[in-house]
Amino acid sequence: MKFRNLILKNIFRNKSRSILAVIGIAIGVAAVVGLGLITDDLTQSTESALTAGAADFSVINSTNSPSGSGGGGGFGNDQLINQAAVGQIQQVKGVSSAVGELRTSTNLGNSTSSNSSSSSGFGANFRSMTNIIGIDSSDLSMDDIAITNGTAFSNANQVIIGQDAAQRLNKTVGSTITISNKTFTVSGIYETGNFMDDRGIVMSLPALQNLTGNTGQVSLILVKASNGTDPTALASTIQQNYANDLSTSTSLSGNNRMNNGLQVISSGAWAVSLLAILIGGIIVIVTMMKAVSERTREIGVLRAIGWTQRRILGMIIGEALVLSLIAIVVGLLLAVGIVELISLTHLLRGINPSFSLLLILKGIGVALFLGIIGGIYPAYRASRLSPTEALRYE
Amino acid sequence: MNNENIIEIKDLKKTYENGVIKALDGINLEIKKGESISIIGPSGSGKSTLLNMIGALDKADEGHITVAGMDLMQKEDLSKFRLNEIGFVFQLHNLIPNLTVLENVQTPLIETDIPDKKMEERALEILKSVNLTDKINQKPTKLSGGERQRVAIARALVNHPSIILADEPTGALDSKTSDIILELLLDIHKKENVTLIMVTHEHNVAARAHRSIYVLDGKIKEEKINSAS
Ligand SMILES: Nc1ncnc2c1ncn2[C@@H]1O[C@H](COP(=O)(O)OP(=O)(O)OP(=O)(O)O)[C@@H](O)[C@H]1O
Ligand SMILES: [Mg+2]
Repeated sequence: MKFRNLILKNIFRNKSRSILAVIGIAIGVAAVVGLGLITDDLTQSTESALTAGAADFSVINSTNSPSGSGGGGGFGNDQLINQAAVGQIQQVKGVSSAVGELRTSTNLGNSTSSNSSSSSGFGANFRSMTNIIGIDSSDLSMDDIAITNGTAFSNANQVIIGQDAAQRLNKTVGSTITISNKTFTVSGIYETGNFMDDRGIVMSLPALQNLTGNTGQVSLILVKASNGTDPTALASTIQQNYANDLSTSTSLSGNNRMNNGLQVISSGAWAVSLLAILIGGIIVIVTMMKAVSERTREIGVLRAIGWTQRRILGMIIGEALVLSLIAIVVGLLLAVGIVELISLTHLLRGINPSFSLLLILKGIGVALFLGIIGGIYPAYRASRLSPTEALRYE
Repeated sequence: MNNENIIEIKDLKKTYENGVIKALDGINLEIKKGESISIIGPSGSGKSTLLNMIGALDKADEGHITVAGMDLMQKEDLSKFRLNEIGFVFQLHNLIPNLTVLENVQTPLIETDIPDKKMEERALEILKSVNLTDKINQKPTKLSGGERQRVAIARALVNHPSIILADEPTGALDSKTSDIILELLLDIHKKENVTLIMVTHEHNVAARAHRSIYVLDGKIKEEKINSAS
């Protein structure tokens, strides 16, 4: 009889306890892999948001960033920029294109537009507010907006809406939508990969300027550096040239918001994963300790017939590792199940879970880690049992 | 040192519970190779402790003990020694319940590098000698007390030990089954020339050995050569 056959037989000795240990390990695997699938997917869409067409940085009214640091990108009590500045920035050496954009947000629920042009950010009422962006249809790529359905707006009566907004408001191409008492037709659905902007509505710049009474004004200027120009250097040049009026943010406000959101999600995922690993670890240790104490006498006998401490250690760790291997399969299946469930509930934008090798390796790593950690202490205790005391054990 | 002695014990002492319990209180004993010994005495007198010392299951506090040429007072791992020289039989069979009879007998061999096929052959051969050929694929729970004890004896013999240590091997059996097990042990002892040391409460069992040792309060009170053997 081979040693490994003995280990396998021991696994099936107390099935309910083995199942419990497998569940413990699988919880850890499922948490790490399941949450990994979600964060991977979100990260991927962030990366696709930073495509070549997108602007490198944005310029805002300097009074909006008192610290002058240029980060953040919030438009709390926004001052607008005269649209004439767009043409001036376009002339700066190294600028490939400069595009004016007006941003506002409105509560479509009661159809009253908020005229303050306040961007939602992570505001308290961010769920009920819809972002509205005014930008020329030829410049959509600067905001990384890609039409997935229908066409871009071709006149002041048309809008395109983000795929999340479409879902939330139950609109599709050809639907009408009323914003500030004006009715628009939805000409297309867009996607940015940025789950914040995907909740928005985009119309032409003049249309939004008219709607909000901000003729000749923009919230920000999107700037793309020409090839060979360092965007960061360009941003600081503009910052210096217009020190009194404008301020630049080296990364796009939208992307910043997005990255913040992503960070919240991925650190949340980490916390949940760690908790799951902890719980899994405790379950494994407790069940393995029980397996050892139930077999105290037997371990005494094995020592008496000539087994070394190492052999006893190997047997218990071996059992824990076999349980881990089973748990890898169970855990991966569980992870897919959880992700499917989440995407069914529409809690998050449509997720297309795709297993990366790294993620599977992570899952395997967690299982082996839990198996070894969960097995090592009980195994150590078992191997250190005094044979005579083990034999006296009732 | 007498070359014929397989076991030599001098002033052996062992205490438990920080010295409160004197399990062995100065044991002096010499046992010749191929001898059969019975150890008798009241409960708690130290019989099992003495047996466990000979089997290198525990370390003594003081004194000298040499078994099969090995100084057991040396501090080192003695599992290999137990594997090669000692075969233990306990009052309760202590078989592994989820393994078959054949697998149980092979468990000591897992520590050796004997190939699988050879292991099984050896276990089968021993099981034949204890008359259990028809039960090799049974689980121990399906066996009678006497059959289980025969499996335990087979397990003790599978490594061809030079000493068999049996701690009340018939203690849990009815008198008829006891006789069968006792005869089996004595038979193996004679045929294989194995040294047999058994602890027992029964005087008729004790009398079947060459020599009976009476232990009281951790000391040997009396030794008796049995005429019958
Ligand atoms: N591991 C141990 N820890 C504490 N006390 C022990 C231990 N082993 C034995 N003892 C004590 O040492 C004494 C001798 O025990 P031992 O088991 O050798 O007796 P015994 O003669 O075999 O008795 P029995 O006939 O009941 O089996 C007893 O008082 C027992 O309680
Ligand atoms: Mg005893």
